[in-house]
Amino acid sequence: MDQYKNFGVEDFVWDQFFRQWILAPNRENDLLWNVWLAENPGSVRVVNEARQVVLSLGTKEAELSDREIRDAVNKTIARIHEPLEEDFSTFDRPIPFYRATWFQIAASVAIFIIAGLSWKSYRSQMQLASDTIQVEAPVSPPALAVRMIEKVNSGNKSILVQLEDHSEITLKPGSSIRYAEPFTGPTREVYLLGEAFFDIAKDPDRPFMVYANELVTKVLGTSFTIKAYPSSKEVTVEVKTGRVSVFAKSDPELQAKLTRRELQGIILSPNQKIIFERDVVRMEKTLVERPEIVLPKSKIPHFQFEDTPASEVFASIGNAYGIEIIYDEELLKGCPLTASLDNQPLHEKLSIICKAMEATYEVLDGQIIIHSRGCRN
Amino acid sequence: MQGDVFILNTQFECSMNLSVNRSDASDDKLMWQRFIAGDVDAFDYLMSSQFRVLFYYGSKFSKDKEFVKDCIQDLFLALWERRDNLSVDIAVKPYLMASLRRLMHRKYEVKARLAEDELDGQEGNFEIEFSVEQDYIEQESTLVLTQKLKKLLDELPLRQKEVVYLKFYQELDRNQISEIMEVSPQTVSNLLQIAIKHLKKHWRTEFITFFLIHLFI
Repeated sequence: MDQYKNFGVEDFVWDQFFRQWILAPNRENDLLWNVWLAENPGSVRVVNEARQVVLSLGTKEAELSDREIRDAVNKTIARIHEPLEEDFSTFDRPIPFYRATWFQIAASVAIFIIAGLSWKSYRSQMQLASDTIQVEAPVSPPALAVRMIEKVNSGNKSILVQLEDHSEITLKPGSSIRYAEPFTGPTREVYLLGEAFFDIAKDPDRPFMVYANELVTKVLGTSFTIKAYPSSKEVTVEVKTGRVSVFAKSDPELQAKLTRRELQGIILSPNQKIIFERDVVRMEKTLVERPEIVLPKSKIPHFQFEDTPASEVFASIGNAYGIEIIYDEELLKGCPLTASLDNQPLHEKLSIICKAMEATYEVLDGQIIIHSRGCRN
Repeated sequence: MQGDVFILNTQFECSMNLSVNRSDASDDKLMWQRFIAGDVDAFDYLMSSQFRVLFYYGSKFSKDKEFVKDCIQDLFLALWERRDNLSVDIAVKPYLMASLRRLMHRKYEVKARLAEDELDGQEGNFEIEFSVEQDYIEQESTLVLTQKLKKLLDELPLRQKEVVYLKFYQELDRNQISEIMEVSPQTVSNLLQIAIKHLKKHWRTEFITFFLIHLFI
């Protein structure tokens, strides 16, 4: 970097390498420039002035809100879904065959290229991941015999991915996962882009971790769905069975929470769902759209109620769906219920009950709250 | 250094700096491949992530905001329809910028033919104005000098301005710029050299004048 010794402000301002350091500093260029400045204290003043110039000199741009971008993108996507004109007969165009060949070629080319690229990007991203997670972890990184595998689903059907620990991942179209095989170290880690359903084999000694956008999901053995499309404003985690804990990647205590064996962070139980709003970095716990019964088939009760006290009704339903139902016992004391509720989904059951009891309900923080003024009879 | 980056990322409302729209090129490439394979999510991702860069670039050719937005939409639709014939191996951002530029110029030609009498002579030319964000500046003297530099930049001939913009504000390389501007790589180098030489020379005189003034005060 000798040439920089005689640089004036005007030279630094138009030097590509210098600009990169100012506008996109990373560990390497930061180190390099700081060492150079330490050796050349005479240049500190000039560098400082050049830095202010580079930072402050931008271009005047028209205002454009994120909302406007979203609207334009949505409008365009709506237009690509418009059907093309269909005034040619199918006989003239052997579409299925042609399309299949084209698709296979495109898919194989894509996979080939992605495999090559992913090795490169994996290495840089693993670097990133270890930056954020293992700040001072004494565990040395796996050095050899670990293959990094990337599965990309570029088709239009879900695919099943089986891991060596017998966990199964159902990968939705347009999604991809990355993981090491075999898993080494104290945890099993998977990186997700897009949407997938995870059925994770129990192994309490080796927690299973999914990194998806800004969220980290940690489980011991359970099944759940994560949606983390890069373009989406939300990341969601929905639990089917078992319990999972969810953290933001930005959590300052992330490292500690991940290494401890017990689950911390926001704990989700079956039928609960977390929505992470990426814009505002806010997590909201709620219920999945269609909660399912969590009890084994043999233990599912009949939801046949005849003059049954409200407390029993709610206990039976709450237990079946693994969801806490909160209500004022005193107020609902005189509200026996007669109903047959075997075939309705949860929300319908609750609506019917609430109608009968002149109550309303809401989902709050993954629980169900019943609001009522009591019954008249 | 971390602090600087952060500030930079929050200030892009009216003045755009380099790293604001810096997206990971390898991510873009992966998404481009999915786009070509017909993945609507990839379409969404690419269009959302590139929209701002393209809009700012397109606004250099037209002050009509809605027209620029329409052009970007048309661009993505056209690419989507032709995706079977597109190359997988491209640098996404420069490719999109070059395509947008061509598309806008084509539209102008059509416009020009339709409305011969009242065509705004300004439209279609590369117009850019630089700006100075005072928050980054500590001394009054630096502010004055930066404003002088802004003035010098604003006064550059159009093509030199565009080269400087693409090179230093969009971080494109010589070949990418030559494709976007449809000139030879050598021309790009020449334009860039002339521009930077001019800027340095005249700005240095400012330094000296400034220094002398301070000496006498």
